[in-house]
Amino acid sequence: MKISLNWIGDFVDLSGVSAEKVSNLLSLHTAEVEGIEVYGEAIQDVVVGHVVACGQHPDAEKLSVTEVDFGGEENVAVVCGAPNVRVGLKIAFAPVGSSLPGDLKIKKAKLRGQESRGMICSERELEMSEEHDGIMELPEDAPIGVPLIDYLELRDHILELDNKSLTHRPDLWGHYGFARELSALLQRTLKPLPIDVAWPEAKSAWSVQRTDAEGCAVYSALEIELGGAPRNSNPFISRRLLAVGQRLVNDVVDLSNYVMLEIGQPTHAFDASTISGKAIEVRAAQEGESIVTLDGVDRALIPEDLVIADAKQAIALAGVMGGKHTEVSDTTERIVLEAAAFHATRVRRTAHRLALRSEASSRFEKTLDPAYAAEATARFCHLLLQDRPEAKILGVPSISAEPVADSIQLPLDPVKTSKLLGISLREEEMVSMLEGIGFSPVKKGEGYLVKVPSWRSTKDVTLPIDLVEEVGRMFGYDRIVPAALEAPVEVPVQQPQRLLARKLVNRLVLAHAAHETQSYSFLDCAWAERLGRKISDFERLDNPVLAEVSLIRRDPIPSLLEQAAGNLNEFGQGRLCEVAKGYEPQAGIEPLERRWLGVVEWGEKSLPKQGQESLFGRMRGLGEDLMRSVGVAKEQLSIQPQNAELTAPDWAHPVQTLHWSLGGQPLGWSTRVHPQLLRELDFGAHDCSILLFDLEALSVATQDRHPSFETPSRFPGIKVDVALALPDDKSYAEVEIALKKAGGKLLDSLELFDVYTGEGMADGQRSLAFRCLLRAADRTLSDKEEQKFLRKVDFAAIELGGNLRS
Amino acid sequence: MRDRLEALRRDGLAAVSESQDLDTLYGVESRLLGRTGALTAELKGLGKLSPEDRPVVGKLANEIKQALQGALDERRTAIESAELAADLAGEGLDPSLPGSNAPKGGVHPVLAIARELEDLFSSMGYVVWDGPEIETEVHNFDALNIPPDHPAREGHDTIWMDVEEGSARRCLRTHTSPVQVRALREFGAPLRVIAPGRVFRQEAQDATHDHTFHQMEGLVVDKGVGVPHMLHAMNSLLEGVFGRKLETRLRPGFFPFVEPGFELDARCPFCKDGCKVCKGSTWIELMPGGLVHPNVLIAAGLDPEEYSGFAFGLGLSRIAMLRYGINDIRWMMGGDLRFLEQFQA
Ligand SMILES: [Zn+2]
Repeated sequence: MKISLNWIGDFVDLSGVSAEKVSNLLSLHTAEVEGIEVYGEAIQDVVVGHVVACGQHPDAEKLSVTEVDFGGEENVAVVCGAPNVRVGLKIAFAPVGSSLPGDLKIKKAKLRGQESRGMICSERELEMSEEHDGIMELPEDAPIGVPLIDYLELRDHILELDNKSLTHRPDLWGHYGFARELSALLQRTLKPLPIDVAWPEAKSAWSVQRTDAEGCAVYSALEIELGGAPRNSNPFISRRLLAVGQRLVNDVVDLSNYVMLEIGQPTHAFDASTISGKAIEVRAAQEGESIVTLDGVDRALIPEDLVIADAKQAIALAGVMGGKHTEVSDTTERIVLEAAAFHATRVRRTAHRLALRSEASSRFEKTLDPAYAAEATARFCHLLLQDRPEAKILGVPSISAEPVADSIQLPLDPVKTSKLLGISLREEEMVSMLEGIGFSPVKKGEGYLVKVPSWRSTKDVTLPIDLVEEVGRMFGYDRIVPAALEAPVEVPVQQPQRLLARKLVNRLVLAHAAHETQSYSFLDCAWAERLGRKISDFERLDNPVLAEVSLIRRDPIPSLLEQAAGNLNEFGQGRLCEVAKGYEPQAGIEPLERRWLGVVEWGEKSLPKQGQESLFGRMRGLGEDLMRSVGVAKEQLSIQPQNAELTAPDWAHPVQTLHWSLGGQPLGWSTRVHPQLLRELDFGAHDCSILLFDLEALSVATQDRHPSFETPSRFPGIKVDVALALPDDKSYAEVEIALKKAGGKLLDSLELFDVYTGEGMADGQRSLAFRCLLRAADRTLSDKEEQKFLRKVDFAAIELGGNLRS
Repeated sequence: MRDRLEALRRDGLAAVSESQDLDTLYGVESRLLGRTGALTAELKGLGKLSPEDRPVVGKLANEIKQALQGALDERRTAIESAELAADLAGEGLDPSLPGSNAPKGGVHPVLAIARELEDLFSSMGYVVWDGPEIETEVHNFDALNIPPDHPAREGHDTIWMDVEEGSARRCLRTHTSPVQVRALREFGAPLRVIAPGRVFRQEAQDATHDHTFHQMEGLVVDKGVGVPHMLHAMNSLLEGVFGRKLETRLRPGFFPFVEPGFELDARCPFCKDGCKVCKGSTWIELMPGGLVHPNVLIAAGLDPEEYSGFAFGLGLSRIAMLRYGINDIRWMMGGDLRFLEQFQA
């Protein structure tokens, strides 16, 4: 919202206070000022000129050639097309080199062969009004050469307020509310709003009925005879409205806007002759009803909408927009002026549904003080009669209203207030601060009972704590001095999965060059089919941002795969990880939430399909290292291929899938991604592996695990390389178990270093080569012990259906 | 034998002086003086000589051995010096060649800041807690004193879940504030807690808006807690984020779950007299906060006459954008490695 400091000046003396100061005061005590604009800057080059000669243009009937004195070194010739240009006229003159609103630069020009050095301006060209029938005529005594903005005192400062900072303050949607705040902050007198009107004796012929009383707390209607058709507003009103960005229509509508910008209360003028009967009803729209609004659009209504209706039909959409049919026109002679308090939520919903948010609707949305309606009616009449003494008010306003509620009284505890705010203020100071903004404190017992003014009562100030805010902001929050909490620091409770997740991410990032990412929780519906699931297996959005993207992920893998796919063009390989929540629906109760650690790695398809160099093998190694980093040795884990009892995740390869568990507690999976899924995600020449751990399970399983130190043997070990030729249906896992059995306690470590098939190997056989380290804690091993180990390995190989090759 | 020894001396010395590197020299040494070397063999043969020849030939053999050993040592020193000199001369070395590629990993910038703040607040006794992303209407709105007809509850602001007919409404949490009541119900008062996490809004995406972003809630409830304590916590937070104390100021702000409510501005950390970030004002609005509304305390089962508290909210995504100069919020959730790679562990 824009506020004009000149306008504020009508109600509180701002002399000697800079716009910056006002802006700062408001920002720190009231509402956020987003910017200051100097109004009049756009026409600062325009000066008062004097037409000293004027004659007909030789070649153009409608143009005149004039000589203008504008206080320059010499008079200039100016071609002018206005019908009212004449000798002796004082004018608004834009000399060569000056500029006008709309980035118009005035240059020397030739018009139909006649030189023209400058421009004589109309009010519209100066953005002072809509007047463009002729040039602006200044009083005879206007001093030549003086800047127009100084002569007309046009200079104004316009503050741009952040509307969001006003949502809870229905009193700040007009200039008067800001004047009240500034009068308190500057400790200067607040002048009352001039609203005195000589009301006629006659009773009004109009009746008002609030059929939908919930929708409308007050409705006031008043018929006024204009005494002449609507016309352009006077320059003062025009300038005020233009300065705060309000479009001009005609003096009736402009005045309605003026009152709204002053008080915050919208009013609406109907053409009285277009209303059927003299009874106005405020009611809910009927099923199937429609109305053509001012903008010419026929709008279908629903019963939640509130309408103003005459004997025949709806004539306005309450609080949102008037009806086309009853609009004030050039020929309107009598108006009915409406001032009302409509239901905030209903106005908001209607305006939003019809995309018709307006200055008026956004004010009604704030729950206006019901007392504003009468005030606005009086202010409108006061201003109208000033401008149009010929106008006649036909009766007193017809008002239908809820009984005036008792004013809110709240206790103020000065000691508690000071304590909460951390300031020291004397009681009298608090009292006078509150009085400054219209509150009325009365001493009661230890504290005060404070009467809240009606314009703050509708929703903003309803509890004792709200008074603390009023005292605080008047004092100035910027004067509060920070202080540390007094209570001693206790060791805070920790969320174990959070700590665990952090350790694992650190390890992934530092040891495995993974990049931690964040991906969206939403999935496209297509994912349900891709994963072979039903839509009902997912938590679903009612109003998704994108219609199709309406599922909530169960785990982070689908979104990680999407991110991986998005990187393929630039990165042939990569590793992403995310700590994420997933949700699964549960009938009748809240969805099941799981916390996951997901890792995805992609690379070229040309990589080996299995073994340590494969993506699948690397993911297993990575998982084992992650486990080690949280205190779990590889030997303690159970890492099993998928079997009948375990259902592999939807995105997993049917064979290259490993289930991880620890002490019977399932932890998660490492898998190659199902090739069909990769095809659907356009992975092309790339392959992909996944690791997914359930952090909750992992944190339970790894609770209180700390690696315990083992003293290394002082005796050297023996390295023995063995290669076994085995039927290729014997899995590595089986072979490892057999070798470990063969090695017994002496086998310190075992490392597969070669898998070989081909030349030299029988069909259906492969060779697995291991490096074994034998070591004892208490002695150097003898050759005999090495031989014994080899015999046992040989025996194991034979048992597995093969033999020891070396 | 004498002749053989003399020949060994002659050939040996020649081989030594011809050796150009340490490996060759080592070969020569073991051929001559090693366990199975030529001279060693001769020395072993001394025993077969007559007693009268033995001292003479033995003396000669030892002389030759010493001569060879001396020559070997000298040659070794010479080669070593030459090699050192050559190494130091750096011939053919281009010191500007690139280094090896160490593996690169990185943490997400938003979470990096969140973790820094978790550490900072943990050290001040704050619990780090979180709540579900799918939240009940009660926790997201009702308990936070947000009126039933508040516009924030409508579908153009909030993403609602599709729930079974008749069951309570659920939404994607629109802020981290529901953790206030959840944590108070979990731990009771007194309490210090922060809650970082993702939040959701029904919002079309553009450079400054996303439907998913990160916030961090802070809450302290105790007896006698007031605005100065809130200000201190907020200032500490900013010091943690920006690495130095920033001048700050409080001004009014409105949020239904606090009263009074504030906005905290900080002196723009990026300029002295106005820049694009602060829109020329030298202040940037960084954090909303306020004293916990009595209705929120009541919803959390506490007596507002006994306890008071403060709460603040930090836009983690926005802070990350400010700190790293990220120009478009959509980078945050896109997983583009060209973005992620720029943030280290
Ligand atoms: Zn700046």
